[in-house]
Amino acid sequence: MVSKKKKKFSSGEGAKYISRRAALRKLQVSLREFRRLCILKGIYPREPRNRKKAQKGDTGIKTLYHIKDIQFLLHEPIIWKLRDIKTGSKKIAKARALKDYEKIHKFNNSYPVLKLDHIVKERYPTFIDALRDLDDCLTLCFLFSTFPSMKHIPRDQSQLCRRLTTEFMHYIIEAGVLRKVFVSIKGYYYQAEIKGQTVTWIVPHHFSFEPQNRAEVDFKLMSIFVEFYIVMLGFVNFRLYHSLNLHYPPKFPSLSATNIEKQLVDEDVFVSERVAALNYSIAKNSNDIVEEDVAIDDFCNEDDPEKLAEAKKEAESIENLKTLFKGLKFFLNREVPREPIVFMLRCFGGEVSWDKLLFVGATFDENDESITHQIVDRPSVDNKYTSRYYVQPQWIFDSINNRELMPVKKYFMGEILPPHLSPFTNKGLTDIYMPLEERALHDPTLLEEIHKKDKEAEDSEKNDIAENNDDDHIDESESDIESAEELQENDTKKKLSVAPGKVTKEDPQQKGKEARQEYRLREKMVKNKHKRLYKSMMQNKLERKKEIWLLRKKRRLHEEAKNEKNQKS
Amino acid sequence: MKTKRVSKRNKISWRKHVNIDDVEDFLEEQRLEERLGPKSSLTEKQLFIIDKPDVTKISKKEKCRLKLANPVCFQLLKPHTNVPDPISKRNRVRSKEERKSKLVKLREEERKIKGILKAKEVNSIKGKELYEKKKKQLPKRGEFTKDIWEVQNNVTNINEWINPESTVHNLRQTGVYLKKVVSSVTKKPTVLPTIDPPHPGLSYNPSFEDHQNLLKEVATKEQELIKRDKHLNRVTKNIFRTVSAGTRDKTWLTEMSQGLSFENRESSKNEKPSETDGEYRSINPPAENKKKTLKQRRKQKEQLIAARLRRIAKIEKKKVSDLHKLKDLKEKANLVDQKILLNKQKREKYNELKSKQTKRLGARKFEETDLEFNMPGDLTGTLRGLKKESSLLVDRFVSLQKRNVIPPSVRIQAKKAKFKRFVKPGHKDDWKSTVARVKTSLNNK
Repeated sequence: MVSKKKKKFSSGEGAKYISRRAALRKLQVSLREFRRLCILKGIYPREPRNRKKAQKGDTGIKTLYHIKDIQFLLHEPIIWKLRDIKTGSKKIAKARALKDYEKIHKFNNSYPVLKLDHIVKERYPTFIDALRDLDDCLTLCFLFSTFPSMKHIPRDQSQLCRRLTTEFMHYIIEAGVLRKVFVSIKGYYYQAEIKGQTVTWIVPHHFSFEPQNRAEVDFKLMSIFVEFYIVMLGFVNFRLYHSLNLHYPPKFPSLSATNIEKQLVDEDVFVSERVAALNYSIAKNSNDIVEEDVAIDDFCNEDDPEKLAEAKKEAESIENLKTLFKGLKFFLNREVPREPIVFMLRCFGGEVSWDKLLFVGATFDENDESITHQIVDRPSVDNKYTSRYYVQPQWIFDSINNRELMPVKKYFMGEILPPHLSPFTNKGLTDIYMPLEERALHDPTLLEEIHKKDKEAEDSEKNDIAENNDDDHIDESESDIESAEELQENDTKKKLSVAPGKVTKEDPQQKGKEARQEYRLREKMVKNKHKRLYKSMMQNKLERKKEIWLLRKKRRLHEEAKNEKNQKS
Repeated sequence: MKTKRVSKRNKISWRKHVNIDDVEDFLEEQRLEERLGPKSSLTEKQLFIIDKPDVTKISKKEKCRLKLANPVCFQLLKPHTNVPDPISKRNRVRSKEERKSKLVKLREEERKIKGILKAKEVNSIKGKELYEKKKKQLPKRGEFTKDIWEVQNNVTNINEWINPESTVHNLRQTGVYLKKVVSSVTKKPTVLPTIDPPHPGLSYNPSFEDHQNLLKEVATKEQELIKRDKHLNRVTKNIFRTVSAGTRDKTWLTEMSQGLSFENRESSKNEKPSETDGEYRSINPPAENKKKTLKQRRKQKEQLIAARLRRIAKIEKKKVSDLHKLKDLKEKANLVDQKILLNKQKREKYNELKSKQTKRLGARKFEETDLEFNMPGDLTGTLRGLKKESSLLVDRFVSLQKRNVIPPSVRIQAKKAKFKRFVKPGHKDDWKSTVARVKTSLNNK
């Protein structure tokens, strides 16, 4: 018997993919519902390896989906809900056309609500997965929180976004996990480290809402993304709050509305306003201290001692960062954007207040003498207090990025600010030649050194010009005296010290040799797969070192020549 | 002249052929009389009065009061004629409650006091409770009351001793929904980062070098675009000659009349057709069935055998020679291997590069947006004087496209369908201008 002829595209690439149109027919949904379903479930179109085969011999470019994905969607219970929504909105539209307000009201009340809990769990099986994908979620939620109610967006969406994002900020404040801040022309870039995951998000600048061009962005589509992200952020917030023993939704322990305030606003508005102020610490469920960070073990299976030292240094700097603004009291002038600055300051333990009339939640007035810093963004202020520094907001950003308080001098009111550098630049190549001035930008202590050096040079020059011979004598005599004193000190130290018994004599040369041998052995352990890469890395490193050495030498020679010239003249 | 007899069966033919103007005129007159009274019985002054504007002044308050005294919303309820209702006494339909007799009312009251309820009432109370309960259970947006990542005692693997089939069977009874989540749901469709690290030149107060670097990047990108535009113009627009309308028509005429040589027509008429012998010849003459002789067949067979033998000998000879060429062959094999390895490396490299690029998901190709930047004049160096560039929403939208999450698309303006309007023949109201006119012209004749 002749076997049945195999049909084309019944196996292989052709059987793997399904076009969007076919998927619609299979799922029996409209394109709009399909889009929504795909976004909510996290199913994206695919690019096949061989497009002609995947499209069953059809040339041209179609949007293709994996057939397994579509089969998975077939099982989804929210498909039924989406159909309900469709019929519900049709009914409402009809009632509206007939001006049957009773029916409109009735249908609106029974409008189906999509429950997305199970989808969040499905897409992010563990909490860490959810944290890993928080970037998009946060950025979109922060963005939508600035929107007014608009045509294609559900009525409560922007309000929900606002609520959830402020809750998230409260968590960041309580946990103190913010790491980097960058103010760009696009918006504020923040980076936090939550449970070992770096989360980056962008917050738009607080300017008035500007209408978007409809041709550029599909508003409805974005609002579907936000619809899912709201649910996700809610559950993430819930978990994060409970990890810190905080009460969720946030509550305040020491917040009691005065009678007048109670009369003016209702309870919900009162609380939500205080939440938005970001200036109160929220209530805890219990007083148990949650231990989050564990000190790094000394015995580590990391081979490289350098890496270990680096990690320790990093941990130390983070510890320093957490209490960066502790004990400092800030007052914000009204031209300063309140929310981001309060968020940053409170993250690292600062106390903040602002003008009472600006926003609710101000804790102290401008005339408080204990204020240490006033954040100002204008060239001058009428009446100044002598007990505080008037600094520009960039001082805060740069202090956070450098993980230590920058010297305020350069950031005083009216001063031309040093450049605000991005903390997101790649730190991979540290062995790049940097001129002394550029290095000083990253390291403030170096700057002072340079400054001192310059001054000394200038002084010496001046002295040279003014009194040539006399000074030399004095200098010499002074230096003599100093050296004598040093000697004396050394003597006294020797007298006090106890001579240790010589146990073994370690030969440093031998030790170095052994280390080098070990290093070579370790080099041999590099897998064949990575050998070439390793080789090129080392070579590049060597080249860079050489270049740095060369450039430094050039500079040194140049400076020496310059000095000689100066001296001659 | 005898009038032609015409049919008056249809409405249209009736209208066409019967002059009813006099009847209409008469009726018209009658209506007018009804309205204005009999003709010429009254003088104009009696008939008409001169309308004078109302001089009586009323205050705003009074105007308002007047308006309120007779509100528009109730006007519909009022009788619109002054004709009185012919039925002076109307009985109102009594409600169900009013129709009940006093005895029934009394009995029901007693029942209520005792707390005895009808089945209908009991049902309604139950239904109401159920509705309230259901309403409470409805999911609310923005309410998060549980930790979905909390590890529950997983029902799907209760005991390792129970085989999966029986667990599935038992779970079906508990209402647990069993399904496998496809792996693509948890995977990201790209390796690109969600939020690109910002260029240091994007800072509101950038260092000079960073800012210059950014500007350089922008400039090179723009230059490339300009170059591409120039190229496209050169290749498309510039290769066509621009010709004025007159010359275009002229060339068209000359081109189209090619071969229709009017001048040479005479001479071509004089030419004689080429001479032939008059015999018909097909283009492909029929094949002849020519048979081979026996000798020819034998020779052919012999040749075939000889050729096969030669081939075999050649292969045998090659086998021997190949033994000597072993080293050479090995080298060749090595070369092939090396080539394969090289190709593999190339492919890996290409794949790695490709994984960072945006995939082609739809008919439209992904296009990157322009880089955003501040011009040097816009940089003020303070937070207050910051000039915002780029919309974050567009940025996110494009980023989603770049990360293969959504296929690139543009908004397509819905085209309005063009309607061709016309009036149905039966609905045309032009019989007076078409039909009646024809008739009058006929009458005149």
